[in-house]
Amino acid sequence: MGFEQCHPTVNLIYFAVAFYTTFIFKHPVFLIISFISAFAYSIKRNGIRSFIFNMVLLPLGIAFALYYSSYNHFGVTVLEQNLIGNSITLESIVYGGLLSIKVMTALMWLTSLYSVFTSDKVVYLFGAISPKLSLVLSILLRLLPRLKRQSIIINNARKGIGRGIGQGNIFKRILNLFSVISILITWMIETLGQSSVSMHSRGSSLRGRRAYSIYRFDSRDRAYVVAMFFCMTLVLMAVMLGQCDAVYDPMIRISMPTAVSWVFYGGYFCFAVMPMALELWTEYSFYRSRKAIKG
Amino acid sequence: MVIKENNLEQFKTDGFSFRYPTMTKPSLEDISFSVKKGEYLLICGSSGSGKTTLLRHLKSCLAPKGAKKGVIYFNGKPLDEVFEREQASKIGFVMQSPDDQIVTDKVWHELAFGLESLGCDKRSMRGRVAEMACYFGIQDWFHRNVAELSGGQKQLLNLASVMAMRPEVLILDEPTSQLDPIAASDFLNTVRRINRELGTTVIITEHRLEDILPHADRVIVMERGRIISDSMPRTTGKVLYEQGSPMLYAMPTSMRVFYDLDCKGDAPLTVREGREWLEGENKKEPIQRSIESPKMEEYTDDPVLSLKEVWFRYQKKSPDVLRGVSLDVKKGTLHAIVGGNGAGKSTTLKAICNICRPYRGSIRVFGKDVRKYKGKELFSGCISMLPQDPKSLFVKGSVLRELSEMTGDKAEIERVTGLCRIEELLDKHPYDLSGGESQRVALAKILLTKPKLLLLDEPTKGMDSFFKRSFAAIIKELTQSGVSCVMVSHDIEFCAEYADRVSMFFDGGIVTTDTPRSFFSQNSFYTTAANRMSRHIFTNAVTAEDIVKLCRINREADL
Repeated sequence: MGFEQCHPTVNLIYFAVAFYTTFIFKHPVFLIISFISAFAYSIKRNGIRSFIFNMVLLPLGIAFALYYSSYNHFGVTVLEQNLIGNSITLESIVYGGLLSIKVMTALMWLTSLYSVFTSDKVVYLFGAISPKLSLVLSILLRLLPRLKRQSIIINNARKGIGRGIGQGNIFKRILNLFSVISILITWMIETLGQSSVSMHSRGSSLRGRRAYSIYRFDSRDRAYVVAMFFCMTLVLMAVMLGQCDAVYDPMIRISMPTAVSWVFYGGYFCFAVMPMALELWTEYSFYRSRKAIKG
Repeated sequence: MVIKENNLEQFKTDGFSFRYPTMTKPSLEDISFSVKKGEYLLICGSSGSGKTTLLRHLKSCLAPKGAKKGVIYFNGKPLDEVFEREQASKIGFVMQSPDDQIVTDKVWHELAFGLESLGCDKRSMRGRVAEMACYFGIQDWFHRNVAELSGGQKQLLNLASVMAMRPEVLILDEPTSQLDPIAASDFLNTVRRINRELGTTVIITEHRLEDILPHADRVIVMERGRIISDSMPRTTGKVLYEQGSPMLYAMPTSMRVFYDLDCKGDAPLTVREGREWLEGENKKEPIQRSIESPKMEEYTDDPVLSLKEVWFRYQKKSPDVLRGVSLDVKKGTLHAIVGGNGAGKSTTLKAICNICRPYRGSIRVFGKDVRKYKGKELFSGCISMLPQDPKSLFVKGSVLRELSEMTGDKAEIERVTGLCRIEELLDKHPYDLSGGESQRVALAKILLTKPKLLLLDEPTKGMDSFFKRSFAAIIKELTQSGVSCVMVSHDIEFCAEYADRVSMFFDGGIVTTDTPRSFFSQNSFYTTAANRMSRHIFTNAVTAEDIVKLCRINREADL
């Protein structure tokens, strides 16, 4: 009930921009906005599992920052000297922390992306580029799980005559494993041959293939796109006005917030929490209308 | 060359012949037939009679390569001149295996596949897919992954995705051979509905004729690449009878009984007609109503296999599949287990050979707990299982090498090939065999482990009636030599004829066990066509042979 209901194109644009901005921005405010919203949204989507994942990420991120600063020694603010006489600088610690925030944010976005993008959406998006490509993808999506299932069937059949993977001595087991793999390959060739006949029979080799879609670009998608582009324009303006500039070498220089900066920060914040807001809003309206029925 | 336009004929051919490049004998010889638009044509014949080859020639992109003679006309135009696009949409083809035909991973995508190929625009694609999903009752599983569907649903999906292209003619090549009887009859009903409601021409081949023959408009019978009969279903039996063709054995029970008793006139086609005819035949009070048969005796000696209250589930939190299965199998018998789909019959077999481990109850094989067998002990000279898909056993490039994988003993291989009647298949590639052939090769292969207990998982699936007969003969020889068999099957006709004991599996356990005669004569739904046809006159006839025997006795008494 939320962002995953949106049209795949909307999902795609959103995540593309979210990842891109996370990677290019060096300004701490923007990065922290992205970090917080990715953190919150991944928990909103995947619940406790994401929370644990994110909590494991945090110490790893800190460890990375320390690791980074002990190998990179740029910057002018020397904090101390380490064992072999290299200086540990504030700049490299901050920059290392920045990098680890980027990676963590990207990973968190990725967990949300994984739950939003079903295989159907990927197939659809590929279909928009080339229907043939999406067909290949769809065939693979069917074949791979089938291979796994078939290998179990074959192994069971071989077990029934005492030649399963887990039967006999080590030497026999290896031979049995090879047999199962060989049967599996023959089976795959056979079954792909059959499917290609069936595809052919339904005109797969004709010119002018077009991809079917189960998605519809509705008015909410339109509204979403408009809002998204509005926010993106604000962010773009921020970039052009140098509001996102930050330099860490040789010394930390970050463009300080002015009165108008808050507008840009707000724009990016709106963009980052948009999917979450959409989800919370639909859940709220669902709850409200349920309540209205119950009286 | 374009012959005079005849709008009524969908397909027409005159003297068509075909030979595969590797064969010396033609696979199709002098085939002449025509199909009218909207007709329901059934093609039957034993395995290897050329049915599939003929059907494949009706669509250019499926036609096998080889030497051809003669022309096939589609709507009055030579088929080779009909554009691929037109053929793709107008000639729909459904094949045997439900799984292999499905190309994509989602139901909706599969439904739309043909329309995607034709390059329909989005709106009409949406409309047609929706229409098909509703007509076939697919809307509930429209978004599902194909892997979650049952065999029957998969085949229905194949049919629907072909129908979405709005074909004029629907060609089906043994579409129900891999389905259980209930799914099969559902499927055939849908095909009939398409033919009746949409006027789509249907050309179908089948082994199981009981359900389908009465509804066909015309029946073509093939033998060794030739058409031996082309007639209305009612007269097909007569033609075959007059020719003395063995194909008569494959006809529905009522028809077989009719001609086995050398009756004249119109043969009954359905169970209902059979009942009426049998009543007329036995107007006077029959002097013998039942076949003498021994009551089921309790086994006195130790059973070779005994299951006691076996419970099993696949995962810790999944529901129980086996819920207290108890079963005794005596030495040298064929014990059949029948029952619905997914009831746990195959799982029982897996539990017996220790592939599944039950968490309650005991399984004793030859008096010893199955878990106590060590390593090789159980599978060398003790148990063997014939899997549902025999091809999953085959590794080698030829049948002979396949058999040599199991043992180096030449004499033993010779004995088994003789027993399973596969002498002429030894040089073939195992994947080139027909369903019945590969089943026998697989049987030969597992017999080389010299099992004393044989587990068979739906061995008659996809077999024609002749293969079934010879398969039964092989099993008979085995049981007589002291091998015990446990068979899981949907094929109640086979069980009624050849099993020594039949058990009904239901709700995770065995409900009743009896001799096939009393088992099937006590049932009134789940029983053979012969029993349904004769139960109002004879008390315990379960096979066509039983009815014939009783009718003969009563006839002689009349004279």
